[in-house]
Amino acid sequence: MFKRFIYMGLVASSVWVLTLLFFLLQSSWAFWHQIGVQVLWQDEWYPYEHLYGFLPAIVGTLWALCIAMLIAVPCALAAAIVNSELVPRQVQPWGRVLMEILAGVPSIVYGLLGLWVLLPFLQKHLNLLSGHSLLAAGMMLSLMVLPTMMLMAEDALRAVPLEQREAGMHLGLNWEQRLWRILLPQAYPGMRSGMILSLGRALGETMAVMLVVGSMDRMPEPLYNILQPAQTLTSRIGREIGEASFGSLHFSALMACGVVLAAMALLLGRLAQGRAR
Amino acid sequence: MMIRLILILLAVPAVVLPLLSLGYIFVQAAPWFSVTVLLGDAQQHSMISSGLVPQIMGSLLLMGLACALAFPAALSLALFDMIYANASQRRVLAAALQLLQGIPPIVYGLCALVVLVHLFHWGISLVSGALVLAVVILPLLTENIMHALQRIAPEQTEAAKNLGLSAWHIVVRVWLPVAWSDILTGVLLAMARALSETAPILFTATVFSGVSLPDSIWSPVSSLQTHIFYLAQEASNKQAMGVAWVSAALLLLLVLGLSVVAWWLRQRRLGA
Repeated sequence: MFKRFIYMGLVASSVWVLTLLFFLLQSSWAFWHQIGVQVLWQDEWYPYEHLYGFLPAIVGTLWALCIAMLIAVPCALAAAIVNSELVPRQVQPWGRVLMEILAGVPSIVYGLLGLWVLLPFLQKHLNLLSGHSLLAAGMMLSLMVLPTMMLMAEDALRAVPLEQREAGMHLGLNWEQRLWRILLPQAYPGMRSGMILSLGRALGETMAVMLVVGSMDRMPEPLYNILQPAQTLTSRIGREIGEASFGSLHFSALMACGVVLAAMALLLGRLAQGRAR
Repeated sequence: MMIRLILILLAVPAVVLPLLSLGYIFVQAAPWFSVTVLLGDAQQHSMISSGLVPQIMGSLLLMGLACALAFPAALSLALFDMIYANASQRRVLAAALQLLQGIPPIVYGLCALVVLVHLFHWGISLVSGALVLAVVILPLLTENIMHALQRIAPEQTEAAKNLGLSAWHIVVRVWLPVAWSDILTGVLLAMARALSETAPILFTATVFSGVSLPDSIWSPVSSLQTHIFYLAQEASNKQAMGVAWVSAALLLLLVLGLSVVAWWLRQRRLGA
């Protein structure tokens, strides 16, 4: 009886998840079949003229991720080092609690702030038409992934055995030398998996990005221009799924965007697992 | 010395910026907190001034239903992992959970849109949203319950086995009394996650206007998360902005409340 309950739960959840994923592939199949995979490197997206180039959204996604990581990685690692090594022992748990709570803040709340606070700020200080840009999206993402990244980096630093630190002290290494030669190399694998996890979260983040990125389907011109309105895969899905009718090629194309997104996420996951071994 | 200074300079914004943004929301929302904004204004009939009760109820209903659906599944997965699985099954399960956690929530939303809303003809409804939210939180919830069960001292399980207890009795008499607070912590964190997910329910469960409280699980709902999203795009309307700040503050209070209770439960266990 008990065993049957457990196996029922196991079967039900796997069947349900597999059904969902199967229909994702099935409904994007029409698109891959009719248009083909060359959309991945075509750069024009006009669904009403049957032009489905994914490249602008893919480039936008990658740019947003790069910017987010450039801001979040140094800040998060520094915060982890400061909280685990420099701050007095009584304060440390509070830093952790704070970060744990911040990690749970809903993304839509950050999106609201981005739209009404960050965009006017960027518009004013960088002289933009509107603040909508990949830069804004990257900044929102960095704020969102920072707490998780910091927590995982701190765990990794704490896991460095005490003997190693003591050995470093006996050798007469000063604090900086111990940091660079002992702590960081030992904690690096944990920090890296934290970064990959955050990268995955940033990749799939929708609401905040959708509100600040501007949803403009064209390549950044020139390619490094991050101050223009642009598009990411998630923002495209979020913006257009409401207006695409079920069964149309446009709908199928958006499902294909979802497949690309999931494939990128799974690739990242593989990377994290493969390196961990 | 130089390095320490640089580290501290980099670390300060990591803590201060998120805190400042949360504080800013509460400061913006504070002047708008009033009975009319929360309960609605009988004189006016626009969507913005009809109160936030349906949104709050919608969010809580979606969260509750999603957890009610995900919890038995997560519990059975975790118990399977602890009791019946062999080493290779355990590895497969762990890898599968990790992969599922990596898939972006909006992709689950797309799947649910096809399967539930269109193929099953359930339409945009509470039950569609709850089913997809349940899938989104399932990996997290399962891992939380697994960790809670793994923290039980193996001596206790051994002792129970030596007494000849069946698996069912071990779970009910030995594991649950020891691990319930850890399991509850995991559930609370999953609830917070379900409350903060917006993308998957945006096109499977919620509509902006014309909804009071849902009549049944087949009717669409309105939720705080999506309400904020719709209102965010009406920045020209002063009142809409006010209601949006209040909704954001309410959502934050709910999520932070859940995290704080979870934290308190864990502290209590560590203290005991």
